[in-house]
Amino acid sequence: MIPGRSASGAATRWCCGTQPALWGIPCCLAQHFIAATACQEADYGAMIRHYCLKEFQHSMEGIGQRLWCDWDETVGTYGELTNCTALIAEKLDCYWPNRLVDEFFVAVHRQYFRNCSPSGRALHDPPNGVLCPFIVLPVLVTLLMTALVVWRSKRSEGIV
Amino acid sequence: MKKTTQCCFLLIILLTRIVPSLSSAVNYTDPTLEPVVTENSVIRQKIIDSQFKCYERMNRAPPYKKKGLFCNRTWDGWLCWDDTPAGRLTAQNCPDYFPDFDPTERASKYCDETGNWFRHPESNRTWSNYTLCNSFTSEKLKMAFILYYMAIVGHALSITSLLISLAIFFYFKSLSCQRITLHKNLFFSYVLNSMFTIAHLIAVVPNPGLVKRDPVSCKVLQFFHQYMLGCNYFWMLCEGIYLHTLIVVAVFAEEQRLHWYYLLGWGFPLVPASIHAVARARYFNDNCWMSVDTHLLYIVHGPVMAALLVNFFFLLNIVRVLVTKLRDTHRAESNMYMKAVRATLILVPLLGIQFVIIPWRPENRLAGEIYDYIMHILMHYQGLLVATIFCFFNGENCSSSVQQQQFCTDNTRSLLTRPHFQAWDCF
Repeated sequence: MIPGRSASGAATRWCCGTQPALWGIPCCLAQHFIAATACQEADYGAMIRHYCLKEFQHSMEGIGQRLWCDWDETVGTYGELTNCTALIAEKLDCYWPNRLVDEFFVAVHRQYFRNCSPSGRALHDPPNGVLCPFIVLPVLVTLLMTALVVWRSKRSEGIV
Repeated sequence: MKKTTQCCFLLIILLTRIVPSLSSAVNYTDPTLEPVVTENSVIRQKIIDSQFKCYERMNRAPPYKKKGLFCNRTWDGWLCWDDTPAGRLTAQNCPDYFPDFDPTERASKYCDETGNWFRHPESNRTWSNYTLCNSFTSEKLKMAFILYYMAIVGHALSITSLLISLAIFFYFKSLSCQRITLHKNLFFSYVLNSMFTIAHLIAVVPNPGLVKRDPVSCKVLQFFHQYMLGCNYFWMLCEGIYLHTLIVVAVFAEEQRLHWYYLLGWGFPLVPASIHAVARARYFNDNCWMSVDTHLLYIVHGPVMAALLVNFFFLLNIVRVLVTKLRDTHRAESNMYMKAVRATLILVPLLGIQFVIIPWRPENRLAGEIYDYIMHILMHYQGLLVATIFCFFNGENCSSSVQQQQFCTDNTRSLLTRPHFQAWDCF
């Protein structure tokens, strides 16, 4: 659990040794950009483009464009990108997520996931064209079967 | 209509969401003020997945077309919010990431008059209201436990009373008319249905380890559970068809051939259950097939509802015939309506009509709780009710001699001709 926003003066405690460098960002460099009291949006925007996006681009090129839509392949990289933006927000005393994060990710999606299905990885129902026959067919067969049984029981009575 | 069919699974929804993960509840001071990133990988996975879907939606949805100020679409860390006009409070269902978040509660976000999302006064960050998501959890958990034990007790009582009734039916060899044969099959399907439900409630629902391992056996159990559910309702339909044929259609009531009833009651439910299993394995293969968030469940529930509807119309027709026959026999009106009502009330539990008549769960919390209790009693104690009405209360029926049975058969045979119509005594 990443702790809450730190006070401005305590920003210097974010030194390299205490942060897990999961994505190889030279986090020491981030110290140069630590804001004094408020979130500098321009700095934040520049930082996430400079650090997070570069790393993401590198990973995605490594995965290969063919597999960009394969969620199993890209989920790790996507998660790291998210982590990265969150951590830089932490360091710059910004809350996460924010408007810049929204714009950033919309741009990333536009560039990398434009041709992918939007459903993500969670289980979801098949499309309606498949679902409806699956549902309608048993219902119709039920009604047919009922009619058949009613008809047969009438006939066995000798009633036509 | 989804709530209708899921009324049976409300308990299971609550339990799978809350009980299994209770030991690993995430602890945080105020989820609404702390940053939204968490360490737990399963939860993070769900959140990242939702984030991906959100940004995809934000990318593909057309831009805001209406006039006036509005707040931009945004991802707040847990849920996706669309473009909202200024001055409006928008809401959606709470996410299910955390064990103590109730997905039936609502999370809300306010877009103020200036076209900016509401900022929390303490932290001055844009803030969505998730307080309702986990504020009633402890009461709901308590109620979920009560409903859970009620369900188990109900099914156990049903099994006991149904087995006793079956023993009575088999012991008295004189009780061998066709109607009783259908009752025996109906009771037997109730017994099997209750057994599978109890197995599911005891072995699978409180056992997250089993669900996580996802062995084939729990999917097989689910398949048989759906099959027995179908059998239950299709045997009720068979009873309805039999009565309908006997009372409305038959004038010279010879013995009907029961083979078609056996086919409809035991054989046919394999069809929707198998189709559901195939569709589930292909398109929505979650662990132990426990999720109720899929429309694929309608593959089984659709035919069940169709059977109930057909049964309902048969019932109305039977009651109509009974009432008109009463009128023809010149009985006093009060007597007539009383008898008709008694006949209907006896037939209702037999034919499972309550699911047709009480479909909607109220939005109000207290009314919703009362609804849950009533629905659970009706669903899980149905076997007990049927056994009681058809065996224990109907004293002369269960202890009848050959003479009584002959009287019963004679009456139903000549219902149109005899002046004093007493066919409902046979019910």
